[in-house]
Amino acid sequence: MDLLAAAIFLAALALIALEWVHRTKVALAGAALMVLLGVIDQEQAIEAVDWATLGLLAGMMVIVGLTEPTGVFTYLALRAAQLSRGNPVALVFLLAGVTGLLSAFLDNLTAILLVVPVTLLLADLLRISPVPLVLTEVLASNIGGTATLIGDPPNIMIGTHRKELSFLDFIVNLAPVALVSLLVTTALLALVFRRSFRVAPGRAAEIAALEPGRDLRGARHLKRTLAVLAGTILAFFGHTLLHVEPAVVALTGATVMLLVAADDVERALERVEWSTLFFFVGLFVMVGGLEERGVIEAIASRLADLTDGSATAEGMVVLWGAAAGSALVDNIPFTAAMIPVVDSLQGGTFDDGLWWALALGACFGGNATMIAAAANVAATGILDRTGHPVSFVRFLAVGAPVTLVSLLIATVYLLLFQL
Amino acid sequence: MPLRDLPLVRASVRDTADLAEAAAALFAAQVPAFAVLDHDERVVGIFSEADLLRAVFPGYLAEVRHTAFLPDDAPALAERARSASGRPVREFARPVEPLDAGESQTHAAERFLHTGEQALPVVEQGRFLGMLSIAALCYARLERAGER
Repeated sequence: MDLLAAAIFLAALALIALEWVHRTKVALAGAALMVLLGVIDQEQAIEAVDWATLGLLAGMMVIVGLTEPTGVFTYLALRAAQLSRGNPVALVFLLAGVTGLLSAFLDNLTAILLVVPVTLLLADLLRISPVPLVLTEVLASNIGGTATLIGDPPNIMIGTHRKELSFLDFIVNLAPVALVSLLVTTALLALVFRRSFRVAPGRAAEIAALEPGRDLRGARHLKRTLAVLAGTILAFFGHTLLHVEPAVVALTGATVMLLVAADDVERALERVEWSTLFFFVGLFVMVGGLEERGVIEAIASRLADLTDGSATAEGMVVLWGAAAGSALVDNIPFTAAMIPVVDSLQGGTFDDGLWWALALGACFGGNATMIAAAANVAATGILDRTGHPVSFVRFLAVGAPVTLVSLLIATVYLLLFQL
Repeated sequence: MPLRDLPLVRASVRDTADLAEAAAALFAAQVPAFAVLDHDERVVGIFSEADLLRAVFPGYLAEVRHTAFLPDDAPALAERARSASGRPVREFARPVEPLDAGESQTHAAERFLHTGEQALPVVEQGRFLGMLSIAALCYARLERAGER
């Protein structure tokens, strides 16, 4: 039965990586197979679902969905572009900075969906290809999302699984390394793409002449939505003091947002990406099946043997292993499988260093390939729809070196401060 | 009254026609969308005013939600229109499920609501009869109500 559990999970991972079938269908089919074939019984399957993760994701989807129509995110991206004054290197850093910031406090996929369309518009005005700018933003979104508990799905799963790790812990332990990685990799990309960023004289004036605030003037519920968004982010910072889980913060924020800023609740709830939530449900059940059948325990035990019980070696294996796994498959299912492995490695004890290694590996590994993170798939999809297709190899040629550089930074950081 | 008895507009364009021809025909016609037909006169898609908009204006417009700050970039718009006008209309057409001539008006109304189209092709035994617009469908109903 343990072989069957492993076979179903590996087949699901392969299908997700190959993108032959929608990932949600694969995850749900894998979960259904595990339940129907008796790998995991139905009560255990329901218990395996991490409802806190789903609550946090759904809450943030509602909050962002109701804030987006105000135009405030477009305003932010445009103002950043104007601050560059037509200097292409400054433009790259500012757009990467805005993307990284939005990723940290919303999530990386949302940040990409908000920033990439504006970037296409800016590139059109500047008469430059949007591809280098968008690729820089995708990589910045995955690095920026590493900085907080809510920034990237792997962090959401880790943060909701280990209650000892607060929102502030994520920022204190991950934001500095994310910031350094963001600066270094953006500089690298600005250097690589320097020829693509050459702006014809006079084009910068087109950007400077824009009035980003025009869309905000007629926005309904602007002040209310911004107040709720700010309140929710503040509550994340203080959730341990308030004795509430991050999921409760997100769902409370979403509820307040619905009360004060949703004219039509049905339409507001259409912003919830049900396919993503069901993808997580399927994954949790499959990983529950692996746990029930001892597969996770066996992997952890093998890892412990390989590393000879050394915390440093374990941390390095988790960091680089999570990055490689995330790059090949998708960082969400890989993290879902790795969380119980890290639990097992620690036995009954708790060492936050291994969790930071997992977060850094999964989030940074998400930059390596086009399929490694949902933000990459979304951004390349938008580029494709708007006539700027990016091949798997082209993404890899940019993503893999950036991943390598950021992992080296993470390795130094973990060795110096965490392991 | 089945759909074949409603005022259908025989508005179609061959899939090989270029965008400029399709746009001219759409402008002159009384319906907001054309059937795109292959050489056997079978419906292979629909080309609507929204498709024309997507062809003539920048692709990113479908992705951004806020553009009040954006002035017309006349040279870029002219260049886009110039490059789009000679391309075949099939590149901009979308797949469509035609209505059958024998189907009810209520069914047609439901299809309009759920497809979001302003006009749909009506076929009989696979042969294109004409385009049925929402206005034509509703006007026919109101006219009959007035007669009674």
